[in-house]
Formats: sequence, structure tokens, C-alpha cells
Amino acid sequence: MRRRSSGFSPQGQGGAEVKHAVALGQADSCSAIPRNQIEMFLVWKFRHLASRGLPARWQTATRAAAFRALIVVGSLLTMAVGCNRQQPSFEPNRVLAKRLELSESVPMEQATADVGQALEVLFGTPDTPKWPEFLDGEQPLISRERLARAGGAVSSDEEGRHFGLFREHCVSCHGTNGDGLGPTAALLNPYPRDFRLGKFKFKSTPIGSKPTRDDLKQLLLRGVVGTSMPSFSLLEDEDLEALTDYVIYLSIRGELERRLLNEAALELDFDGGERVFDEAAKESDPELYAEQMLHIQSQTQRIAKQWSEAESQVVAIEGPPAELPVGRWVDLRAAESINLSQMPDALEQSIARGKQLFQGNVASCAFCHGPEGAGDGQQNNYDEWTRDWTLGFDPRDPEALSPMLEEGALKPRNILPRNLRLGVFRGGSSPADLYRRIVFGIEGTPMPALPMKPDNPQGLTANQVWDIVNYLLNLSDDSLSTATTSDLEGSSQAKNG
Amino acid sequence: MADPTPDPKHIGDRSLATGYSALVHRLSVILTVAVFPLIWVGGLVTTYDAGMAVPDWPGTYGWNMFAYPASTWLFGPFDLLVEHSHRLLGTLAGLLSIALVVAAFRNDGRPWFRRWTLLLLLAVIAQGALGGARVLLDERTVAMIHGCTGPLFFAMAAATAVMSSRWWIERPAAEASSQTALGQNATGPFLCWLASSLLVASYLQLIVGAQLRHVTGSVPHSLFKGFVHMHLGLAGLVALIASGLLLTCIFNGGLPARVRRAVFLVFAAVLLQIALGIGTWIVNYALPWAELNAWLASYTISAKGYWESLVVTAHVATGALIISLSTVVALRAWRSRATSTQVPAN
Repeated sequence: MRRRSSGFSPQGQGGAEVKHAVALGQADSCSAIPRNQIEMFLVWKFRHLASRGLPARWQTATRAAAFRALIVVGSLLTMAVGCNRQQPSFEPNRVLAKRLELSESVPMEQATADVGQALEVLFGTPDTPKWPEFLDGEQPLISRERLARAGGAVSSDEEGRHFGLFREHCVSCHGTNGDGLGPTAALLNPYPRDFRLGKFKFKSTPIGSKPTRDDLKQLLLRGVVGTSMPSFSLLEDEDLEALTDYVIYLSIRGELERRLLNEAALELDFDGGERVFDEAAKESDPELYAEQMLHIQSQTQRIAKQWSEAESQVVAIEGPPAELPVGRWVDLRAAESINLSQMPDALEQSIARGKQLFQGNVASCAFCHGPEGAGDGQQNNYDEWTRDWTLGFDPRDPEALSPMLEEGALKPRNILPRNLRLGVFRGGSSPADLYRRIVFGIEGTPMPALPMKPDNPQGLTANQVWDIVNYLLNLSDDSLSTATTSDLEGSSQAKNG
Repeated sequence: MADPTPDPKHIGDRSLATGYSALVHRLSVILTVAVFPLIWVGGLVTTYDAGMAVPDWPGTYGWNMFAYPASTWLFGPFDLLVEHSHRLLGTLAGLLSIALVVAAFRNDGRPWFRRWTLLLLLAVIAQGALGGARVLLDERTVAMIHGCTGPLFFAMAAATAVMSSRWWIERPAAEASSQTALGQNATGPFLCWLASSLLVASYLQLIVGAQLRHVTGSVPHSLFKGFVHMHLGLAGLVALIASGLLLTCIFNGGLPARVRRAVFLVFAAVLLQIALGIGTWIVNYALPWAELNAWLASYTISAKGYWESLVVTAHVATGALIISLSTVVALRAWRSRATSTQVPAN
């Protein structure tokens, strides 16, 4: 029985080039050919051979399993022979380009290529990252030396200094360009953060502001409890600084890419010959090149400025008033001047008020977190990282999702409200951390900033927020309030004694 | 070159006529024992991303490998310690392999065994060269291949220890003779094939595991996910085969003690490996449903932490151990069967 298999044909889908390259024994043929083409060629070849002189029963019954096995073996072989030896590169934001292509009905290939070119001129490659000179101010945002240490291949020297830190510690989850689409991403919950939106959840600045360097560094030090984000507390301080630089670098690079792609889709007339960036114009039309570059530089400066301003936007949290005990917040200087015997009652009353506020309409915590804080409120929301690429269609619609998933997007997941009864708070569990989360919300999530007096007459006072903090701390551990009060008494007695 | 893989039936005929050499056997056992820490330290090299802690090869920062100052090596950075130790242990394995070849050629009368020891020596040289290529090319793919072939050498060393043992040369005939006289079929073909399947499945499992361990940023998340599912599926298959072996041992009292003991060991190793596998995922990526449990929800992974590194490296080393133990079980089972079918009843 001889018949030609349908499906992939080497002539039809690039297999001829593959065969030709392999036949010539070209040393670099593997790096020049996409791996999936080699696998497809192997599958086609297997089908071709399998269709010759084999029992029909074999062909029909076991072929599907054999194909799957072949794909697996093919993948292993192609990896084993080193066909993934291409240099690491910053992949373009294909998901956003596809979304714009579909929503604006404009072809995005040229724009994607132009933007990639511009980004490489400004920011270099994963092996040799660059920091644009026009971003050098009086206080440089990042250090080129640290950037070089964080980028590139993994190695260490005789003094134990590590290089290629981002590839060593971060790339498997966050991806080479910080898109949160690293190899492990699909299996993690929550998905790794995509730095390219320039949004970070846990920070000391309000929603809409960038985090400070220290916010990012603290996150690296502390990790994010209960998630795949580890604590890097065992790393040297200079390594943490270098990683912080690299995250800022990737975020600025990614945000610029987003801006340029959006501009290309919404403002440029590609049919009329307009381009985002054309490096060849440097020679052929220097005026045009300068104009394009100037625009890109100004966009980059705007993003970098937001990062530079972050330090000035930090909101300091003053402690609770002396007469209000707050779990884990032990201000001994204040404690000396108050009657400690009244503390348990005061704390109990604060917790009761906090519960009322938690379940009330102003704070409206119970709407998402459930009346008892078990995280059983609304369950159907999405975070902004998902909303960004599902803009204009229903994330539950498989047909609409399909082209985006093909570009590498991860299947949308609802962002579920936290179960506060577990006593685990990802952004930090100190009273100050909780206060900040309640007042300023969490960037990129449905957790909003609370309306506060006096700006909003209907809002809450600072003391009321501390009441909610007490309720949350008590929710997660019933013995906590008592323990804290007794600790306070013990400490005070020790001081007085 | 003739296939040096021993055919149990032929081996049986020839080895019965040759004497047992304690020296050869001891050297084989020492080599096997020495390779296990080599695998451990090699695992640590990957766990700590220390593959490029020494950028030159075969020298160490310009020094002759053996002359590199102990003060820097032992009391310097941890990465340097594990990488240089790995190289020294590799050299030890090479020297032991050379000694084994010499001992085999002087003391063992079996031509195929002599050729086998030569092959073993070639394998350790190739493995060393792969390690060198990984450094000189600074290529993670080569590191992955090096990580896959290391356990293969470990299994070869274990096989050498089995094939040079007194039991292999002298005992099966006596055991088979007494068992046949009692009317017992010592080792059936089912157990032999099951043991061989375990070897193949556990090695495939190791290859897939290496894809996960040596993952680079260029691997698509869909491919990684596929490898994880494959790794889980193969884990189930390995556990199933190991359970089959265990049940066969339990219900077949006539099996030689050496086969039974090896089966019990490999089963225990598989159980341990499953626990380590779950642990490896947790200490690397946490569980995707951590919120269900307060302990899991409050766990923060420590990058390069002591326990994290220990669990991950133990998973790698136990994987290699399972392959070696499977080799031992398969060889002993086939040997036992081959000799029992050749010796007539009294």
C-alpha cells in the first residue's frame, strides 16, 4: 500500500530548505532554521516512510501514537544536537501587535520590525544590553556596569562574583525580555509578572506611580510568599542592585515598545510610507532619521522620568495613634505614656470597629474578600496584565482568544481575591504594609485605593484604616492580638524594671 | 567494532570457565561508589549555575588542575569549590577506569569483559571531553547532554561491578541447579523484561528531566509544559514498572536473593524519587494551588537556599541511582535466567 501522506510537505512549507541545508552539511544550518520546521520535517518524513509497505492495521491504529512519539523524540534530538544554539534575543511583543492588528485592522509586521530595530539601537541585546546616553542625568537611573553584570551569559569569577544574573535567576519565569512568558510561565499561579506594562503591585508609591528602586530590591529580598517568586536574600547586595537595574531597564524598554506599537497602529500611515523607525534612513535620509530618533528619545525620556520621580512620590506611613494598639506595631515610646491595662479592651474594640468597616459599604472589602475575609466574594475579575491584551473581546471566548494564544499569550485566569484568613499577605504582613495596601490599593489589580478623608468627605479616617488593619491581623490569627498586647506589657515592664 | 554488550547466554558459557578476580571486582565497586558523589557534585554544579565558575579547561584559572591552590579551591567561592571538585572527582573516575582496564587485562580471562572495560574507559574520557566542551563553548545544551550521559556512565560502572562479581561468575549455576532440582523456575522472562523496561523508562525520564533542568529562556512555555507533562507521565510509568517488579518478587519466592534485594532497593529509590520530585517542584516554583493550605501559602522559596538546593540535587542524584539500580536488577535477572535455562536438572 503506497500513498502520499497529506499534511506537511517539505516542498510546501520550507522543508526543501531544511533538506537542502542538511544535505549540504552546513555547519550553521541548525541555527538558521527554526526548530519547529525541523520537527515538522521529521514528522513528514516519518509519515512518508510509514506509508510504505506497512500493514494497514499498523498505519491506522498506531500512527497517531507514533507521530506523538516522533515529535517527542524529534524535540529531544534537535535539542540534543544543539539546534537551539541561537543567540538569545529580545522577542517582539507579538501579543500586543496581534491585538492591534485585529482591533485596528492594520498590518503590524513592518511596525513590529521597525520597533525592534529602534529598541536594539537604544537598548542593545540580551548579551550586550545598552543604556541610552540621553538618559544619563545628574542622578543616573541605573548603572551601565551593573547592567552588564545582570545581562549576558551566566558565569562567575575567582572572587565569586556572578555575571548573567537575570539569566541565572529570572529568565525561566519572566522571559528574556521580561514579558512574563518564560518557559515555566504557563504552569505557575499567579503567572510571572510582565514588566513591560511598567506596573508593579507592591510598592511604597500610589497607584499610577512607578515603584522606587528600594521597593523592587525589597521585593527581591523578601520574595512573594506563597508564589513562585523566591526570596533572593542569599545573594550579595551588588547582585540585587544589578538585578534591580535590569528590571528597570527591561520595564522601560518594554513600555517604550508598547508606546511605539500603539502609535504605529493608531497614528501612522504605513500605506503612505510612514515608518516608526528606519535605520537605513541614517544614510539615505538623515533628516528623517533624526526626526524619528528624536521622537523615540522623547518617549523614552518620558518613561524614564516617571521612574526618576518615584522616590519623591513615596508615601510615608505614620504609625497609629498612641492610644490605639495595633497588632505587631509596638511603639514603646508611646506605650510608656498610656495605660497598658486598658490595651486589650482597646484592641478588642478596634477589631470590632474594623469588622464593621470591612463589611460596610465605604471600604467595601467584603464585596471581593467575602464577609469573613475568606476570599469568597466576586470571582470573575481579571488583572490589568490580562485586560491589556484581551481589550475589546471576552477573555472567555475561545475563538477570540485563539490568535492571541498562538502568539504566546497565556490562557486568561481570573484574579481571585485573597483569602485573608490564611494570614499570608503577599505584599508584606506588617501593619504598615497592610495600611498601605488598604489606602493605596494594589496596582494592576481590582484592589482599589480607598476614599480617604478629608479629600473625600464620605471616605475613611486614618484611625478607621488602622481598625481594619487590626481586624485583618486578628482574622488571620486569633491569638495575635493577645500575644501582641502581652509582648507590649512584657517589654514595657522590662524597660521600667 | 563488535558490539561489546554482553549476551547473557554466551557470557554464561564462557564465564563459567573463567576465574573470579577480587581485584577487578573491588576496583569496579570502588569506581561505582566514586561515581555517585561525582554525580552529586555535578548536580550541585547545575543547581548553583556554577558550570562556568572556572572558565578554562582542562586547566583551572591558568593552573594545572592538580596544582590549583587548595586555599582558593577549598576556602574560595562555593561555585568554584563545586566546579573544581567535580573536575577532580571526574579525574578520579578516569584514573580508576584506567586501573580497572589494567586489572581486567591482567586478571580476567573473559575477552568480552576486557573489551567492556575499554569501552568504560572510552566512556569516561568522552564524558570528560563533553564537560570540557561545555566550558569551552559556554553552551548549556552541551551541559544538558553531559548531564544525561553522566548517569549512563554510572550505570556502566554498576554493570561492571555486577559482571565482575563472584555471583555473576560462579553462583548462578549452583543456584539454578538447586532450584531446578526443587522444581522452581528461578527467574521468569516477565521479570527480566520488566527490569529492562524499568531501565529504559527511567533513562528516558532522566532525559526529559534534563530538559526541565537545563531550560533556557528561548524555550517556549508550551514546550516546557509538554516536557513537564511527559515527565509526570514517565514518573507514573516508572512507578508502575517498579511496583510490578516488587509484586513479582513478593509472589515469586524462588528468585535469587541478589535479584530480590536489588528490586527492593530500586523500589525504595523510586518512592524516594517521587517524594523528591514533588519537593523539587515546590522548592523551585511552589504549588499552583498554594492558597488551599496555610503552610504552602506561607512558604517563600529561597533562591539557592540550602534545603532547596539539597532537594533538587538529591532528585538528580536519585534519578541516576535508579538507572544504576535498574541496570543491576536487569543484569542479575537476565543472568539468573540465562544460567537457569542452561543447567540441566540433576
